Amino acid sequence: MLEDPSYNSVVRWSADGDSFVVLENEKFTKTILPKHFKHSNFASFVRQLNKYDFHKVRHNEESGESPYGRDAWEFRHPEFRADRKDNLDNIRRKAPAPRKPPPAEDAFPASQQIMVLSESLSASQHQIQALQEQYYELEKTNRLLVAEVLGLQKMVRAQSQATNELITHLSNMEDRRRNSRHSAQSSHSNHSGTNFHARTLGFLPDGADEPAPELRRAREILNGVSPDSQADRELERLSMAYNQNGSPADSAGSSVMFTQANATPMPLVHDPLNDPRHMVYPVGQTTGIDPFHADHIHNIPYSRPLSNPSAVAEAPSQITPPPKEHVESLWRGKKPLILLVEDDRTCARIGIKFLTSMDCSVETARDGLEAVDKINTDCDRYDLIFMDIIMPNLDGVSATAMIRVVTPQIPIVAMTSNIRQEDIQTYFQFGMNDVLAKPFTKDGMLRILRKHLTRMLKDPQSTAGLIVDDLGQNVAAGGPGPPASSQGYAAAPPPGIAMGNMAGSIMAGGAPPQVKFEPTPIQSPSTASSWHSPGQIPGTSPTLEGGGYMSAVGSGPGGVVLTPGGTQRPPPPPPPPPTSQQQQQQQQYANYMAAAQAQAQAQAQAQAQAQAANPALARLPEGMGALGGDDRPEKRQRLYGPGPGQGAYAQ
Amino acid sequence: MPEFGDHVDPAIFEQILEMDEDETRDFSQPLVFNFFEQTQETFAKMDRALAKQDLKELSALGHFLKGSSATLGFTKIRDSCQVIQQYGNELNMDGTREPSQDVCLKKITEAIKTAKHDTADLEKMMNKFFKNSEQ
Repeated sequence: MLEDPSYNSVVRWSADGDSFVVLENEKFTKTILPKHFKHSNFASFVRQLNKYDFHKVRHNEESGESPYGRDAWEFRHPEFRADRKDNLDNIRRKAPAPRKPPPAEDAFPASQQIMVLSESLSASQHQIQALQEQYYELEKTNRLLVAEVLGLQKMVRAQSQATNELITHLSNMEDRRRNSRHSAQSSHSNHSGTNFHARTLGFLPDGADEPAPELRRAREILNGVSPDSQADRELERLSMAYNQNGSPADSAGSSVMFTQANATPMPLVHDPLNDPRHMVYPVGQTTGIDPFHADHIHNIPYSRPLSNPSAVAEAPSQITPPPKEHVESLWRGKKPLILLVEDDRTCARIGIKFLTSMDCSVETARDGLEAVDKINTDCDRYDLIFMDIIMPNLDGVSATAMIRVVTPQIPIVAMTSNIRQEDIQTYFQFGMNDVLAKPFTKDGMLRILRKHLTRMLKDPQSTAGLIVDDLGQNVAAGGPGPPASSQGYAAAPPPGIAMGNMAGSIMAGGAPPQVKFEPTPIQSPSTASSWHSPGQIPGTSPTLEGGGYMSAVGSGPGGVVLTPGGTQRPPPPPPPPPTSQQQQQQQQYANYMAAAQAQAQAQAQAQAQAQAANPALARLPEGMGALGGDDRPEKRQRLYGPGPGQGAYAQ
Repeated sequence: MPEFGDHVDPAIFEQILEMDEDETRDFSQPLVFNFFEQTQETFAKMDRALAKQDLKELSALGHFLKGSSATLGFTKIRDSCQVIQQYGNELNMDGTREPSQDVCLKKITEAIKTAKHDTADLEKMMNKFFKNSEQ
């Protein structure tokens, strides 16, 4: 240690090698003693030296000036020499016998000790303060970064939303073009007629009408870019945590993901250094403070989001809250009973396990038929249904349509890997409320439960804001970004999806002249009916769907509206092939297209706004509270009719 | 997390393992073994459908197995199933129509072979993994 050049300015051999010199008392105490002697008390170091018969060398007592400076302490031992390492063994602790410490010499170290102690205390206080400042600095930058990342995320979401809309728009055009071609062909040639049928009734949507490959690829790319949802959630949690330190108004604003970046997590202005709360270690106070005492830990300016009060004790490590804790306190009273409709044993078992771990009761059905039976037996039995789409005997969409006849209220969530916009539109049209992308995750399921069973939650208030966030994530996760763009979506929208980013000016500027909303806008009749297995739903007729559309056009909201749900009930006559009349419709439809699209956006926009304005709304499934909570698309369609109805909702 | 290479999506599979309680593999082990049984049954059905050149059935079977393999995070098997499903629908992987049934059958035959091979590999790894975790 004496030979270490890095210590040279602090402690080293004296010039002639027969003593050593402590040049800088303070530095020596602070840095060297703890390292080599496991304490930081200079006085006790001196005492130890004395015990080993080292003695302080006093220089010209009169002038008080040592050759190494005023504060230097030089120590000598007859056997301790730079060139005689072998002598080290002769340096022994003095036998306690002599015990003749001159009182004068003892008194000096005692006062010295106090001085040294207070010096080291103030030194460490300085250190702590420096650390604190550094910490706040880091915290500040961290917040900025989180805010920045969230902002960017939102932008990306908006972008992909916009892209999705473009794709949907393009594929609509494509679809229409193709369909007119199809119908033309089928009326001419028998062969293509059968071909058309096969495709119409295709059981597997993947095999059914495919959009142009470019569109498909684009969509796949979009869907493929699923950000790490884990990281997402942590980010959001972080920002929530920060927001909660800021003003409540701020956090309310930022929990609604649709507000633009300027309103988002920017509560960063509060300066921790000026906040007396944070001055845990005021300088100058001499009582010892254990910085790791729980009191201080809890004063650290982080706080958990309210949703999990039970985990407050773990506040400092909130980055990784054990998911289990979330769950144990999820429900207020009765456990929800979930019906899981899934033909695949493996998926069913995993689903059951996930749901059970979230403290839900689960029943299963192996196909749509069984599910419909169960609902028919007792339609109020279940709180929520997870529904696979492709199943033997009866597919999930048809089953949903049948269940909707009996119970319009129960949330039905599609579980599927077919999350193309068109598919999702179909799900919504037929009365499903949400989509859980396969392979499903526990978090995904939890999100759905929180969203649709909010009333059963123990702490619905704190989750109300989350729901909106989660939805945004849903989109970003490459999952079923609800097809906000399409007209069909406007008729059956999932709650407030992120059209919000598109300025509210559409609303503000007054809704364009209302055209109409119809239940099956995007799909050509053929694709719409591709969901029905020919055996099960013998009579689902493309023409009927078209008719629904027609009557909606012709008679407006007051007219009789045929709906998907309706078409399922009675087995109508077998589907006639598409006719020229339909082509006309297509044509007409194209004319309405632009206006309807704008309208749809306004609609989604209105919803997002309504939700932002009233978080309570977000808790109701589909955000339809203002409309009496009826989820059925057909009803909604009527409610969305032109004029006052829509305006009222926008308020 | 054990090493399964590109056979397994660790995040998804980890999630399954997390459902186990008390350091056992009481949930995941039977689940995975059942999956392999189910896979063998499905392969048998695929072979029969292939013999009958029943593309629709092949597509349905591919979709079915795709679901469970994806849910467990068994990515290689899932990808082969996707191929089977696509060509069963007479579609190329990019979604364009594949006019030749022979091409479809050939692609499906290959994919089934790959899937069987990957399944065998994975089953070995899983056996080993669960055996190790018993200790």
